[in-house]
Amino acid sequence: MSVFFLIIVLGVLAIAGFVLGRGRALASVQGNTRRLHSLPGYYAWHGAIMAFLPAMAVLTLWLIAQPLIIERQLADYFPAEQFENDSQRILLMADVRRVAEGLDVAVAAGALTPQDAETITVADGSVRERLGAVGVALGAEVTPEVLDAAQSYRALASTGALGRAIVTLIVALAGLAYALRITNGDFRARNRVEAVILGVLILASTIAILTTIGIVMSMLSETIRFSSMYPFKDFLFGLTWQPSFQGGSELGLIPLLWGTLYISLVAMIVAVPTGLFTAIYLAEYASPRVRSIIKPLIEVIAGIPTVVFGLFALVTVGPFLRDWFAVPTGLGSSGSSVMTAGLVIGVLNIPFISSLADDIINAVPQSLRDGSYGLGATKSETVRQVILPAALPGIVGAILLAASRAIGETMIVTMGAGAAAKLDLNPFEAMTTITVKIVSQLTGDTEFNSPETLVAFALGMTLFVITLGLNIFALWVVRKYREQYE
Amino acid sequence: MYDAPNLETRVTQTNTKITARGVQVYYGDKQALQDVDVDILDNTVTAFIGPSGCGKSTFLRCLNRMNDTISNARVEGEILLDGENIYDKRVDPVQLRAKVGMVFQKPNPFPKSIYDNVAYGPKIHGLTRSKAELDEIVESSLRKAALWKEVKDRLGEAGTGLSGGQQQRLCIARAVATAPEVLLMDEPCSALDPIATAQVEELIDELRASFSVVIVTHSMQQAARVSQKTAFFHLGNLVEYGDTSHIFTNPSDPRTESYITGRIG
Repeated sequence: MSVFFLIIVLGVLAIAGFVLGRGRALASVQGNTRRLHSLPGYYAWHGAIMAFLPAMAVLTLWLIAQPLIIERQLADYFPAEQFENDSQRILLMADVRRVAEGLDVAVAAGALTPQDAETITVADGSVRERLGAVGVALGAEVTPEVLDAAQSYRALASTGALGRAIVTLIVALAGLAYALRITNGDFRARNRVEAVILGVLILASTIAILTTIGIVMSMLSETIRFSSMYPFKDFLFGLTWQPSFQGGSELGLIPLLWGTLYISLVAMIVAVPTGLFTAIYLAEYASPRVRSIIKPLIEVIAGIPTVVFGLFALVTVGPFLRDWFAVPTGLGSSGSSVMTAGLVIGVLNIPFISSLADDIINAVPQSLRDGSYGLGATKSETVRQVILPAALPGIVGAILLAASRAIGETMIVTMGAGAAAKLDLNPFEAMTTITVKIVSQLTGDTEFNSPETLVAFALGMTLFVITLGLNIFALWVVRKYREQYE
Repeated sequence: MYDAPNLETRVTQTNTKITARGVQVYYGDKQALQDVDVDILDNTVTAFIGPSGCGKSTFLRCLNRMNDTISNARVEGEILLDGENIYDKRVDPVQLRAKVGMVFQKPNPFPKSIYDNVAYGPKIHGLTRSKAELDEIVESSLRKAALWKEVKDRLGEAGTGLSGGQQQRLCIARAVATAPEVLLMDEPCSALDPIATAQVEELIDELRASFSVVIVTHSMQQAARVSQKTAFFHLGNLVEYGDTSHIFTNPSDPRTESYITGRIG
């Protein structure tokens, strides 16, 4: 029974639980719903949940555990030293799975009988060719060990699938029976459903956190591998970035960090005043009608994919800056430059800052404005001396969040900033950023075992630490200096 | 102007500070106030009383054009401050509010230090030429608001850190520091406990020496305690206006009597 079919069966059982749970609750009070502890719908949901949820949990655990157990069982087919090595074992297991799937396909296509598939050996001719004939391409000829392991894998997997279906269905039926047994007029189904809802909400909130932890762990482990191949001190403080896949690379972080921070600085110089003034206009000066038109228009910018912004940088802003500023002033001759990328990222961040700052300014109580106007202050005096100081912590937080977005921006810098890692003060020079280099080190035919590719993880880790630091600092500023309004 | 100012003689003066004639206020299509005629005297505490929604706060906010900050509010009629129509096109509402200060229902100190709260008005209106002068205004304003003794050692601390009663007196000091001619108070004690209320009421009586004070209040005892003149508003109309002692002992209008005796409101 396939997993998909199993889930459908569980769904049907859940519907049965829904109908039966409700019916049983109503029957227990002779249809007088006022004598029920909870509304009939809660008994229905309780029946459905008890039929579905425990069985689904068992199924999930089974799906996670089965491959691990099978892998352990197959250890006997291979020399121990091959199996100890992580990367070799992963490759071997991938081969085994591929051959096993190939055999399945061959049986399904009629090229092999089920018996043949179980008994076929290397001696019967090229397995690779026979599988190739049914459309399963294998990279190399199948070794006897892999073939044996694959056959054993098929047997274990089919036993596992059967056991999985039986156990899951038993749990589902048991859950359903339990729900029906305890359902009566006094059973507190409402509270039980509430507890399940709480559980679902907690689960949802942990997924994001667990993912973050997973990302950090994987980056950390690759970064540690990188540091075993390349001196980490040279990476952190190196002034040259010159990767070479022939060896002898110089992988210094500083030029990339400089490019990243320089471009972000230009972006923030564009975005902060513009975004802040926009927010002040929208929150304090604009009439409700004007506001209802302008605010969505500005937020449209936030909806434009960054790759489109990148194109804009590449074909419009870059050449414009080159022809009108860089060349006439003799500062450079490249369309890709810190200025190009910085300006475009800045524009991208305007709605982000204006939208956040607008909310923050609106949260400043009206009574403070009245107080200031009541003393004969003008609007701009009120904004400058009362509203902005009151909103400052929130605005600083918004700016820091925008900065971490600018630092992490990839597409626009890839297209607008260039690829040359340089330490230069001239904003019309092409420079490059950490994100651009992560992309360029990982794209193309590369293996994940040289410092030139693994450096991408170290760069990613650096970026993560910088943005995480900025975010934490932003949250700290906001919490520490937030005015407690009643 | 006056040698040895004497409160008793000043109360009996009848210098009119503000004259309102035929004031109508609309919020959108809804009329909030109709045909209000009032003469508010100098160096006098005038109380506006009446049930919620009767228009007393609306009228108070007309006196320094705070209604301008509400986008759909419209004011008709004539309000003269020292004989000058404050709704005249030539009058700058910002300048007007410097002359007609306001204290609000809820204490609303700015998120700044105590000193900067009080110095706010003088700074934006350029009332001082030196730091020493500013210090002097801050001190005298805090003294007038009976807050100086409590805060003189912590002028640099945040105004929002004071207690509710202190905050309200800080707001009064802030309004006084701008050297207004009229002080409008919109239920200044409604967020305060009885002790703080007593302090503020005492303060209002002292402020009368220098300003014309207009106070909106829900508490009839408060109106009777602090004011010399009382105006009773009901459903957007000014029902009765006269000496406080007269209104509370011998009202001419049956509605006033009903309100004062607690039958409507």
